[in-house]
Amino acid sequence: MQDKDLDGLLALAAQDRPTPSAALMDRVLADALAQQPQPFAGWVAPTPAPAPGFFARLAALFGGGPVLAGVCSAMVAGVALGYLQPASLDLLTGGLAGTGAETLDLFPSADFLANEG
Amino acid sequence: MAYDAQDTTSDEALMVLYANGDRQAARALAERVTPRVLAYAARMLGGDRAEAEDVAQETLLRLWRMAPDWRQGEAKVTTWAYRVATNLCIDRQRSGRRKGQITLDDAPDLADGSPSADQRLQDGRRVAALEAALAELPDRQRQAVVLRHIEGLTNPEIAAVMDIGVEAVESLTARGKRALAAVLSGQRDALGYEDDGHAG
Repeated sequence: MQDKDLDGLLALAAQDRPTPSAALMDRVLADALAQQPQPFAGWVAPTPAPAPGFFARLAALFGGGPVLAGVCSAMVAGVALGYLQPASLDLLTGGLAGTGAETLDLFPSADFLANEG
Repeated sequence: MAYDAQDTTSDEALMVLYANGDRQAARALAERVTPRVLAYAARMLGGDRAEAEDVAQETLLRLWRMAPDWRQGEAKVTTWAYRVATNLCIDRQRSGRRKGQITLDDAPDLADGSPSADQRLQDGRRVAALEAALAELPDRQRQAVVLRHIEGLTNPEIAAVMDIGVEAVESLTARGKRALAAVLSGQRDALGYEDDGHAG
């Protein structure tokens, strides 16, 4: 057999491609769908973070919880100093220095410098 | 999006789409790859249609399983499929599971390109004779000849399928064709090569 006869025969065989049966294609497709990854099956939309509460937003406004605590403490102290009666302050200062605030004598031993003689 | 076997979307792109959950891509890939693997396996297994269908299904199953790990640009889908099918056919041949051999009685019906019933019969007998001659070749020669001259792969593609060098492919196909010619030379008259246009 010559080369061109064989080439022609091979070309003829190339046209003779068996058609897959419907049953085979069904099995192949069933395998394909069974093996196909399901990228969306386990996907869950991220839950939005809950809106911050009043105190959280207030703390954020002042720069954080510790700063807010300091500001509140200063506010309470300011209110106390502004509205409490002087007698109450006397009690406080008296407790510390043993005398009233307005009669505190810081240099009791220097009186002799004011005397002539 | 719908794809089909004639769509211009590449096989490799369809693999990515399949791995991303596209069912139409699965169908398009199956319609493209299955006929080629089936035809190749049938020739490698001496015309055993049932075994060839098993090989085709198993090849496609392995294709589906490796789709998530498919890396574009490294290999063609068809080359990969031929390689898997080759290994499966070799396994079946070694395990002695081949059931049938092609004879002239298995001549297929070639409906296209033949002007008459006589010509169709003649072509069918020739193809059957070729299939029988292919079955007599050593495995590697048969693989190379079928992939090159029937499936239409290039020599580098065949080298990738068979995991050998291009020079080895050329050698195998040349020796395979010589062996085929020798086997078929005794049937020249019976196959009608003296009286028709195929004679040379």
